[in-house]
Amino acid sequence: MATIVTITEEKALEVKDFEFTYASADAPSIKKLTMPVAKNSITALIGPSGCGKTTLLRSFNRMHDLYSGNQYSGEIIFKGRNILTAKEDLISLRIQIGMIFQKPTAFPMSIFDNVAYGMRLQGIKNKTELQGRVEKALQDAALWNEVKDRLKHDANGLSGGQQQRLCIARAVAVEPEVLLFDEPTSALDPISTAGIEELIVELKNRVSIIIVTHNMQQAARVSDYTGFMYLGELIELGLTEEMFVTPKEKLTEEYITGKFG
Amino acid sequence: MTHTQKRIITNNIVMILSALSAIIGIGFLFWILGVLVLNGIDALSWTIFTQEGAPPGYEESGLKHALIGQLFIVGIATVVGVPLGILAGTYLSEYGQMSKLAQTVRDISDIMMSAPSIVIGAFVYAIVVAPMGHFSGWAGSIALTIIMLPIILRTTDDMLQLVPSTLREAAFALGASKYKVITQIVYRGAKAGILTGVLLGVARVAGETAPLLFTSFNDNFLNTDMSEPMASLTVTMYNYATSPYEDWQKLGWAAAFILSMFILSLNIIGRLFLLKKKGK
Repeated sequence: MATIVTITEEKALEVKDFEFTYASADAPSIKKLTMPVAKNSITALIGPSGCGKTTLLRSFNRMHDLYSGNQYSGEIIFKGRNILTAKEDLISLRIQIGMIFQKPTAFPMSIFDNVAYGMRLQGIKNKTELQGRVEKALQDAALWNEVKDRLKHDANGLSGGQQQRLCIARAVAVEPEVLLFDEPTSALDPISTAGIEELIVELKNRVSIIIVTHNMQQAARVSDYTGFMYLGELIELGLTEEMFVTPKEKLTEEYITGKFG
Repeated sequence: MTHTQKRIITNNIVMILSALSAIIGIGFLFWILGVLVLNGIDALSWTIFTQEGAPPGYEESGLKHALIGQLFIVGIATVVGVPLGILAGTYLSEYGQMSKLAQTVRDISDIMMSAPSIVIGAFVYAIVVAPMGHFSGWAGSIALTIIMLPIILRTTDDMLQLVPSTLREAAFALGASKYKVITQIVYRGAKAGILTGVLLGVARVAGETAPLLFTSFNDNFLNTDMSEPMASLTVTMYNYATSPYEDWQKLGWAAAFILSMFILSLNIIGRLFLLKKKGK
């Protein structure tokens, strides 16, 4: 059984006996996983490639439902309900649980329209409100000063780091409660990476954050809790400062000291 | 001779042969264009655009009837074929994906694309012209729509599939419904490609003669009633060019020139869109 630290804060999400099987696979990619996610803090998921960390992350906003045949079992509790049921409204779930992807995903439209996209989906048409919220979101994403004079320009003209911050602005603009980051800096240079990390730490006052990363230093730098996954199971979840110094599980220790992975 | 020298000589021979073949290939295009321009420009005059067909020997004869007929037949085929093709391509890429039905539709439209157009003309003759009892512009449009459909369907399918799935996922992750993801994100990303497919599809059918011989047939005078036989540039060109009268033959050259310029510009515009997209 996994070693899981007791979380004193309120919980943003609770995973219980969760199993996930891809349509094309015989065996589950995630096996009987149980894990709490603390509210207004950053939980990092680490582990070798193929351990199921991204699969788990994409379960929180039911991204797997876009492709037919994938199967969930167990529970993921969010705001008192199991979000894995068939009656869950995926549109409102995804508004509340946002996601940032590995590669920047700027839409083929202007910078302004990118940030306004989620709000417009919710039916916000008032121009002054949109402008105010777009500006605020861009400020929150530390991008406002760089783009304020060219909001009407094509978003694809921005650099990779700027595009990723644009995606964060776009996600923040709809005021989600949870933000999922799927290796958000793996396509970026070190300076852009530092900027994104800073941003993630600032955001935790308002949202609960789960971040999948291949980079253990990144997990150590930004997160409050770290979960180590291996072969579809959670091996250990602990306070980041403790886990990187005194891991309780032998596997965790071997992974963070670089014996495998 | 050393091994290296041999290699250099072989290399040069292959290079010269392939370059020569490329020049011959492109040479024919310019030859065709040259002959068309020489004969076509000579035959061009304002009366071509203002006068209808006339019996041989009449000074005042033109191609107005064929130009307008062409516009009607191709225009209606475009208005029907483009939305149908785009919607069907959308189904394949966004809904059917790799399902059996979608794959079957893809295979069949690939076969349809290489079907001889005269066969499609004969088919429309059997299902539209024969029951109606006479040739009509509608029948011509139907035949061209059938030819155009698989081209637009397959390019739309291909172009939509080129839109990265992460872009779709990002829109879904913001709470977009599938319909909004398709219309606001995927179409936007594939805009240039779809437009190219449409232009190439229209260009392809605009040059068809065989299916029109069986369907819209011809009319030497201006007719805007789609339920009657209708002139088209291609069939007019065929009739005039094969006639023994010199003035008709001249009009045939003019028709060939106008048609080629139209199709050439559609092709060039289509390719420019693709280039612009790739350049981004």
